Amino acid sequence: MTLLKEHDLGTSASNSDVMVNVEIDGIDISVAAGTSVMRAAAMCGIDVPKLCATDRLNAFGSCRLCLVEIQGVTGTPASCTTPVTEGMRISTQTPRLEKLRRGVMELYISDHPLDCLTCAANGDCELQDMAGAVGLREVRYGYQGDNHFDQPIDESNPYFRFEPSKCIVCSRCVRACEEIQGTFALTITGRGFASKVSTGGKNFFDSECVSCGACVQVCPTATLEEKSVVSLGVPQRTVITTCAYCGVGCSFKAELRGDEVVRMVPYKDGGANEGHSCVKGRFAWGYATHKDRVLNPMIREAITDPWREVSWDEAIAYAANSLKEIQKRHGIASIGAITSSRCTDEEVFTVQKMVRTAFGNNNTDTCARVCHSPTGYGLSQAFGTSAGTQDFRSIDQADVILLIGANPTDAHPVFASRLKRRIRGGAKLIVADPRRIELVRTPHVTAAHHLQLRPGTNVALMNAIAHVVVTEGLVDEAFIKERCESDSFTTWAQFVARPENSPEALASTIGVPPEEVRSAARLYATAPNSTIYYGLGVTEHSQGSTMVMALANLAMATGNLGREGVGINPLRGQNNVQGSSDMGSFPHEFPGYRHVSDNTVRSIFEKEWGRVLDSEPGLRIPNMFDAAIDGHFKGLFVHGEDIAQSDPNTKHVKAALASLELLIVQDLFINETAKFAHVFFPGTSFLEKDGTFINAERRINRVRPAMRPRNGKHEWQIVCELATAMGYTMHYDNSSQILDEIARTTPTFSGVSFDLLDKVGSVQWPCNEKAPLGTPVMHIGTFVRGKGHFSETPFVPTPERTNRRFPLILTTGRVLSQYNVGAQTRRTENLRWRKEDVLDIHPFDAEERGIFEGSLVTVASRVGETNLHAHVTDHVPQGVVYTTFHFPGDAANMVTTEFSDWATNCPEYKVTAVEVTLRNADAKITKQPAINGEIAVHENSATAESVVRMANQLADVFSYLGEKEGALKVATHIRKFWSPAMRDELQQRVVAKDSSLAPLVVAAASESILV
Amino acid sequence: MNGTAEEPAMYDENRVRTLAAEGVRLGGSLLEVLHMVQNDLGYLDERVVPIIADMLNLSKAEVQGVISFYRDYREKPPAATVVKLCRAEACQAVGAERLVAYASKRLGIAIGESSADGQIGLEQVFCLGNCALGPSGMIGDRLIGRLDEAKLDSHLDPLLRSGG
Amino acid sequence: MSMKTIYVPKDSASRSVGSDEVATAIRESAEKAGIPVNIVRNGSRGMLWLEPLVEVVTEKGRFGYGPVALEDVDDLVAAGLFEGGDHRLSLGHVDEIPWLAGQTRYTFGLVGAIDPLSAEDYEAHGGLSGLHKAVEMKPEEIVEVIKQSGLRGRGGAGFPTGVKWSTVLETPADDIKYVCANADEGDSGTFVDRMLMEGNPFAVIEGMIIAGIATGATEGLIYVRSEYPDAIATMRTAIEVSYGRGWLGSSVLGTDHKFNLSIRVGAGSYICGEETAMLESLEGHRGIVRSKPPLPAHAGLFGKPTVINNILTLASVPRIIQDGPEIYQSLGVGRSRGTQVFQIGGNVARGGIVELPFGVTLHTLVNEYGGGTRSGLPIRAVQVGGPLGAYLPTTAFDVPLDYESFAEIDAMVGHGGIVVFDESVDMARQARFAMEFCAEESCGKCTPCRVGAVRGVEVINRIIADDQRIANLKLLDELCDLMTSGSLCAMGSLTPMPVRSALTHFEVDFHRSPESGIAGTGEVLSL
Repeated sequence: MTLLKEHDLGTSASNSDVMVNVEIDGIDISVAAGTSVMRAAAMCGIDVPKLCATDRLNAFGSCRLCLVEIQGVTGTPASCTTPVTEGMRISTQTPRLEKLRRGVMELYISDHPLDCLTCAANGDCELQDMAGAVGLREVRYGYQGDNHFDQPIDESNPYFRFEPSKCIVCSRCVRACEEIQGTFALTITGRGFASKVSTGGKNFFDSECVSCGACVQVCPTATLEEKSVVSLGVPQRTVITTCAYCGVGCSFKAELRGDEVVRMVPYKDGGANEGHSCVKGRFAWGYATHKDRVLNPMIREAITDPWREVSWDEAIAYAANSLKEIQKRHGIASIGAITSSRCTDEEVFTVQKMVRTAFGNNNTDTCARVCHSPTGYGLSQAFGTSAGTQDFRSIDQADVILLIGANPTDAHPVFASRLKRRIRGGAKLIVADPRRIELVRTPHVTAAHHLQLRPGTNVALMNAIAHVVVTEGLVDEAFIKERCESDSFTTWAQFVARPENSPEALASTIGVPPEEVRSAARLYATAPNSTIYYGLGVTEHSQGSTMVMALANLAMATGNLGREGVGINPLRGQNNVQGSSDMGSFPHEFPGYRHVSDNTVRSIFEKEWGRVLDSEPGLRIPNMFDAAIDGHFKGLFVHGEDIAQSDPNTKHVKAALASLELLIVQDLFINETAKFAHVFFPGTSFLEKDGTFINAERRINRVRPAMRPRNGKHEWQIVCELATAMGYTMHYDNSSQILDEIARTTPTFSGVSFDLLDKVGSVQWPCNEKAPLGTPVMHIGTFVRGKGHFSETPFVPTPERTNRRFPLILTTGRVLSQYNVGAQTRRTENLRWRKEDVLDIHPFDAEERGIFEGSLVTVASRVGETNLHAHVTDHVPQGVVYTTFHFPGDAANMVTTEFSDWATNCPEYKVTAVEVTLRNADAKITKQPAINGEIAVHENSATAESVVRMANQLADVFSYLGEKEGALKVATHIRKFWSPAMRDELQQRVVAKDSSLAPLVVAAASESILV
Repeated sequence: MNGTAEEPAMYDENRVRTLAAEGVRLGGSLLEVLHMVQNDLGYLDERVVPIIADMLNLSKAEVQGVISFYRDYREKPPAATVVKLCRAEACQAVGAERLVAYASKRLGIAIGESSADGQIGLEQVFCLGNCALGPSGMIGDRLIGRLDEAKLDSHLDPLLRSGG
Repeated sequence: MSMKTIYVPKDSASRSVGSDEVATAIRESAEKAGIPVNIVRNGSRGMLWLEPLVEVVTEKGRFGYGPVALEDVDDLVAAGLFEGGDHRLSLGHVDEIPWLAGQTRYTFGLVGAIDPLSAEDYEAHGGLSGLHKAVEMKPEEIVEVIKQSGLRGRGGAGFPTGVKWSTVLETPADDIKYVCANADEGDSGTFVDRMLMEGNPFAVIEGMIIAGIATGATEGLIYVRSEYPDAIATMRTAIEVSYGRGWLGSSVLGTDHKFNLSIRVGAGSYICGEETAMLESLEGHRGIVRSKPPLPAHAGLFGKPTVINNILTLASVPRIIQDGPEIYQSLGVGRSRGTQVFQIGGNVARGGIVELPFGVTLHTLVNEYGGGTRSGLPIRAVQVGGPLGAYLPTTAFDVPLDYESFAEIDAMVGHGGIVVFDESVDMARQARFAMEFCAEESCGKCTPCRVGAVRGVEVINRIIADDQRIANLKLLDELCDLMTSGSLCAMGSLTPMPVRSALTHFEVDFHRSPESGIAGTGEVLSL
């Protein structure tokens, strides 16, 4: 595509249903009431000259270029700020208007440097365009008058520069920062002719600016310009694609010169972002061409050997032969794969297909395991589907927003901007978070409630809120009667109504004053539209799945489902967590969340793939690690994920990796995991990929290649070749065919194709015969499973407890400038904002330990320790410390433990008992603790230990049901999710009368279904 | 106005917070809070910006934008006595320009400047609402009508002597 | 000996010429003489050339003396000041001074007559009867009376007040509506709002409460410019007193009406007198003009329906309600009903406040009331309506002062300020000053005003310097067109009015040789 210039209609669309007839320059048009004259004209194809107006911002009326004449109206009103009225007759071109517009341009140019030919924006400058449009030929004022030519350039931001001498004071940047981004980092200082755009301080970098790029995007001149445009020149062509960072899934225009990306510009028609962006997607894409990137396949016999670059054929043959060899020696189940939430649906689909066909087992799992697996489990229990219920746009209709365990301004910035806009528009916000996250109080946003709960007590809090809803009569009875199971509702209502679930009874557990809980509950329950947004602070707990169910219960009980402005919405961490989950990455499920034991489903795939498929669940990621340590699991294909950095209890993970005979890593860079690898397949960046990502709102977005794969092959091609080399022929001509196969086999995707996406932009699944253009809001009228199901949600505290040795709780998360394990962002200028992980610690806790701002400290848990610099802040409460896991050298996951969600094994990253001690200064040299592949000592096997722990945890969760029903639940769960080998292991423990087994587990073992 | 060039009022974060909190409590907007803080400190030290921004839940940029818009707000300590002369039309009609020129010469400073010792500052103002009794001016807090060179001198002389 | 009541104005204009010192001296002198005195600090009667004007209450009425200088006090006391004795400064019965007696003091009747902060005094002189009547009326009825009276906004634009009120009344509000009084009286040559606030603050308050009742607004704010510290202090005290008396608060005069009122102080910005910039300022923002629509009546302060009226407008309301619309309606000419409170300033012998029905001429005001120039030189020009108003020659002195007649001669009544210049004035420099003022006070939002005003100064400088004079006169003309048609608010669009009127009526000043120019602005000071 040539350079795509989006048509700017000047002002935003009107929401009115009433139509109004007007005549513009002799053209009759009917437009929605409230539409501006400017927009109505643009809809007739008449672009009234403008500089301060853009359809991204509210009309401002400052430039005075867009003046028009209206019959019967005196003067020359601005078309951007004048709404149409019935029968209005408008002239946009008259000699008088032309003279006025030339006069305005003459004033502008009298204070504008005349360096168009050497200006970075030459050819992409609205001021230049307008001077041409109005026919400016001379500036009679001359250039000797008062001017701003000598204003110094601000180069402080790594990605864009600010050249105030070119500023026309249209305030678009200031307004974008306010209206779109919601940061208010820009202002105009001074007044009159001295008015100038300013951050209010020294420069952009030291200001409140979060570098989202909104100001740069709306600037009509070269005043705010990407440095890449300055150095590379104005781009020539556009490729519309999707960002590869967080789960918001922003659409971007990759703008190129030749095959070089000049800049990434958020796409106005992008369904998720509607033209907005954050510092990562907008600017931090340079990693794609970073020198660290590996472009050739490599192999080595042992991880102590140096890497050897080889041809693709050799690498694939080597990998295939080794995998087959391992299976020969250790059995079919001894190998597996981990798919990536950063890769396309098509790539992920091929990996799980390879596992189920070429590997012949179900040992496929995805990194969604470690983030949002409880979402899938919890929501499917309640509604019958494993995804958020709303589109992002729906929040515009919300009156109350419950935000829990999520920090959108850092982790989902573009969604955060939308949320802040809604709060500024009048919605109330309830934040439930142990930390005082930015949204608790940030310019023009103040949360109505901050429920500052203790880490690990989410479920208790939700039970307390539900208690208020049920006991104070705030339940939406009509909704429940019509939409939900009455039995499960009654059981649940009785459960939460128990006195022990009252806010008062739970106050000491949760740590929040009961009146605050009650008032937040009332606020949520009584608003016309209340909605829930949550993140990993909900899922990454040993009760993650319970918590998701508790949220679903609350939404159902208050009737907040099935329309705009309500719902329950997970904020997905990575760009394609939703997609990789949808694509059948899980060991127990085919694409579309259908269990491997389902004969009907299995036969669909057996027919499509021409292989008999395993009907037993395979291994989850942590199970793979255990089996590796035990020596049963020997070969692993890791697709675009750095488990050695991202997964908990690094020592354990590395021990597992070191136990493997063959580790294949497919990635852009030699990451922490690749240090244990024998085969390295270079991957492709999102700028080279061709496929789809699915964001947190189920939106299927196209990822289009801006350039050919720099490694020579698409990732799905590599996977196909590996499968083929192993004896299962897998071939596609292009990735479009893969999506077609997904559509053929998966009902929720049956209507999706590249053609459709190219035509309509994006769709939200389900997209099929019933919803050919997708489903923005789910569960309208009825739930996918039929009636909504309420689950009882007893609060079972995590076994991870603070004690005298480890008195603090560590919780982890993200910062704005960095992303996940940092593989991408660490290779960009984003390092300027954050170059290491730091430990946030409350002033009291710091003082007690002699810790000051910047002190080097050791954070130790019972599984490991790491060293970090301290940041003393009251954004964390006393007793809680916080860090991120972006930097391998800081190794936050050395400390996190093996505890995980009872249902899905999602790790409990959010609760680790730790102690923090001051480390003396000379220790700085060895900041990173020594990590090696030492084998942890296990009394029994690692699998046995985990099996006992997991089974006992299930027993805890279901004990409330009593022995008989509880045992059945435990057994059913195990049958559904555990691999046969793990079930065998449990049986052996039972037979050996392992005294550590809970009685309910022993009872469950006797259930016939388990064996 | 209690600050001079040599002795700016003591900057005290807690005091600024207390004042701002009082302003917020009284339902005042940013302008009132800035007035209160300036009345107390004599000027708006750059350090007050983040505090006031925080107290009112505004961005620092917004606060700075507002401070820079209004002529009343000062980012530097003012002179001990500020002489403000009206330069609007009604006073022009009775010789304000001549008076301004005289004051400027007498004090050796231009409009907007302060004497080197920080004792006297000269500012212009547009209308003090005393248009029938011009030329008008303010010396310190005191409005003076029917100003002329002699009357101006009678007010400036003691200041110049004490400032020597 | 019986207590003597002496009035010494506390109006800031009076204070600027020594009334505080005079008051003190009288007290001391009386004490010395053993005469018990009650010195009342009243507002000014508006005869500012007589300030400080001391009044003494005698059996025969209030006798005046003025202008009283500090050194006159002993002499005055010796001459029997407290008994109304004769003195060269005697003015006789104040009410009978022709300058005052000839006026129609409809709105200004109590200013100077009463103790501004005495609620009893206010009520004793008929104050509050409008409010008493209003609380018994339906909002629609109040609006109708105001409509009938023909009252138009005195801030300058002359928009019918009743129409504005009915718009606010008809605009539904989810929670709150506001009444904002615009006391940002920044126009040079105007001081009526200041004198009202200092001289009769309760009338302002009463007018605002009535506006609230008429429109359903329960919150009132008065935006006063910081250059008016006395007015601010007086209004603040008056508001306190009003709360104390139950005039303000949750139950106005014991009824179900609620009205809260507070003062907001500006911070040195002329443009904040523009109503939308004032709203921005009230919200704590930069005083940047808003685009209309929406009208403030629909979405004003904090987006709520808002009545914005000028102080003089609001202070006129109580009596209109009290009297009914007829009296007010019967005054004036054409569509300009009632009285205007003209303010005569600048180079004038007898400056002050003249309240007369619309239709009076400049000749009457400037020559008869004003007594010509203070300098004694012939009048060359008067500027009517503030810095954005036209400069008029004496040939316009017979045009009736009303909105429509003045619009016909490309001038405006504005806020009623009249500034007199004698023949020494250089009108090219006055034209340049209009541009300078616009450049100094422009909010900076719209291009014609932000950049145009600066270019305007430069172009006029070139005209004065005879640098391509003809071409620059043409450019100036086009710039004036552009500013008039293209500016966002009245500041930019009216700045050409003084410039153009200077060009029209005093063209010769733009064609002098540069050397003959008078050293004026610009040379000494650069803005």
